[in-house]
Amino acid sequence: MSQVEKASAEPLGQRGRIEGVSRLAQKLAALVTLLALIVAFSFGNPAFLSINNGLTVLLQTSIIGLLGIGMTLVIVTGGIDLSVGSVLALSGTVCGLLIQGGLPVVPAMGLGVATGALCGVFNGLVITKLRITPFVATLGMMLIARGLALQLTGAAPISRLGETFGLLGNGALFRVVEMGENGFPRVIFPGVPYPAILLLVVALLAAYLLRRRQLGRHIYAVGSNEDAARLSGVNVDRTKIAAYALSGGLAGLAGMVLMSRLITVQPNEGVMAELDAIAAAVIGGASLMGGVGNISGTMIGAFIIGVLRNGLNMAGVSSFIQQIVIGLVVIGAVYVDQLRNRR
Amino acid sequence: MIATESTHAQADPPQGVTPLVEMISIEKHFGGVRAVNGVSLDLYPGEVVGVLGHNGAGKSCLMRILSGAMIPNEGRIRVRGRDVQIASPQDARSHGIETIYQTLALADHLNAPANLFLGRELKTRFGNLDDARMMREATEALRGLNPNFRNLSDPVSRLSGGQRQVIAIARAIYFDVNILVMDEPTAALGPSETAMVGDLVRRLKGQGIGIFLVSHDIHDVFDLCDRIVVMNRGALVGSHRIEEVTKDDVLSLIIKGALPDGWAPRNSASLSARVGVAQ
Repeated sequence: MSQVEKASAEPLGQRGRIEGVSRLAQKLAALVTLLALIVAFSFGNPAFLSINNGLTVLLQTSIIGLLGIGMTLVIVTGGIDLSVGSVLALSGTVCGLLIQGGLPVVPAMGLGVATGALCGVFNGLVITKLRITPFVATLGMMLIARGLALQLTGAAPISRLGETFGLLGNGALFRVVEMGENGFPRVIFPGVPYPAILLLVVALLAAYLLRRRQLGRHIYAVGSNEDAARLSGVNVDRTKIAAYALSGGLAGLAGMVLMSRLITVQPNEGVMAELDAIAAAVIGGASLMGGVGNISGTMIGAFIIGVLRNGLNMAGVSSFIQQIVIGLVVIGAVYVDQLRNRR
Repeated sequence: MIATESTHAQADPPQGVTPLVEMISIEKHFGGVRAVNGVSLDLYPGEVVGVLGHNGAGKSCLMRILSGAMIPNEGRIRVRGRDVQIASPQDARSHGIETIYQTLALADHLNAPANLFLGRELKTRFGNLDDARMMREATEALRGLNPNFRNLSDPVSRLSGGQRQVIAIARAIYFDVNILVMDEPTAALGPSETAMVGDLVRRLKGQGIGIFLVSHDIHDVFDLCDRIVVMNRGALVGSHRIEEVTKDDVLSLIIKGALPDGWAPRNSASLSARVGVAQ
């Protein structure tokens, strides 16, 4: 054995190091792409680099980012969650109705997030107990949650939810406002928007979960080889249910942020948001085959999509062309990823 | 069933020693197919039992039942004389039953330590994964089996077949193992690695661990086993001390499901000697 191994260990080690380097290179490539986009857009339009626009991008990306984090957890288990856009709307609806019914904002938002998590648990149970593929199970939930949101509201938006409801989406930390001489407030420093802080906190927690906790290890194991995980004593069903519950809960949280930003509950919000979330995860290197993916990659992916959208908007490119561009970026990113894996 | 009992009489258990494990009247069927048909099988401390049979004879199925990967329709399992419920791989492990699967059951994207500790990760006081300690202990365990083992931080998909096998073996013997099921442990290995597995089996046997060795390779079985059992079409058709049969006898059992006509124990005198071996 020793001779055989000695002969083969060196080239293997070499290959391992090279692939490790290439993996890092891929992440760097994504980061460079992001920076190149920013540079290109700011040459096109100097206003792109303004603080205010930066904040807009941050706000827009916080929704994609929150959904993308949940999506990453699910994709790493080898699944997919098509329901996040609808769940986002249902969670917002539940929250809005509760506030209308007299519940204070904070518990109502908590219950909104819980609604999302519950939808995720339902997804997980359908997938593990009824043995229905994630694609079909979450497609069903996509219709159920959207239908529920529309039914509960009669497809009408819920407004007049009070100023506190708008705080999460519009507030900012360290915002400095001065009363101008003309009697209007003047913003000296716009501060760090709460959604951006929330995204950062959730991203750090999710990265910690995946890297340092047993659940995270099991999420990778299930996506890598489900049978092996089961035979090794991993509770596969519980791991999957947890991943879908987290994805649903984060969709609920994204719903709170989005509806709060609009200060209105829109049961029609979040249509096709699941596709942005999947795109963010995939651009960030997550594999739909499972076992591969991480939060930092997904964050870069979410910002690439956010910057693309915003930059193209500012350049006056129509939203139709934007869809085409983002579609091509997703295909390109996955193709590059495949090239890397084929080697 | 009758055949099973009469063959048991030919390899009767040592008196006064509690079997490590007894599988009693195990039945497993899939629809109309009887994959395991009323099989009873036991294993004593320090005993290596070869489980032989054609593909589809039911040997893997029987072993998967013992490992908790499959739940029988009928039958009981006793470990050290006590009835136990084995409904999951976790249950089997909690009774000291470890399995090396033919497929190795490794998570390709995880590294060697993560695979070795998969399902029973070491944690720090705060419940975080203790990767540093897992790496240390895995290095020791793996180098104990193969001094040249390296690339411990690489995903195991990049490792050679031999290294992967070493991880699967290390995972089974690292924890408190009393009963080891080895499903075709040498099928994917070269000669020197096969020899390593042979040494390992003898070492574990010396520690009083009972081993079921599922194998196609009749030569391996004769080298390593104290007793062979043969399955044919879901039933146990023979259980013999290795000294009382020839390879031809065993082939006849595997192929025909019966011993050659006019068979008599080859060396019945050695029967009494094995009780000592078992202890």
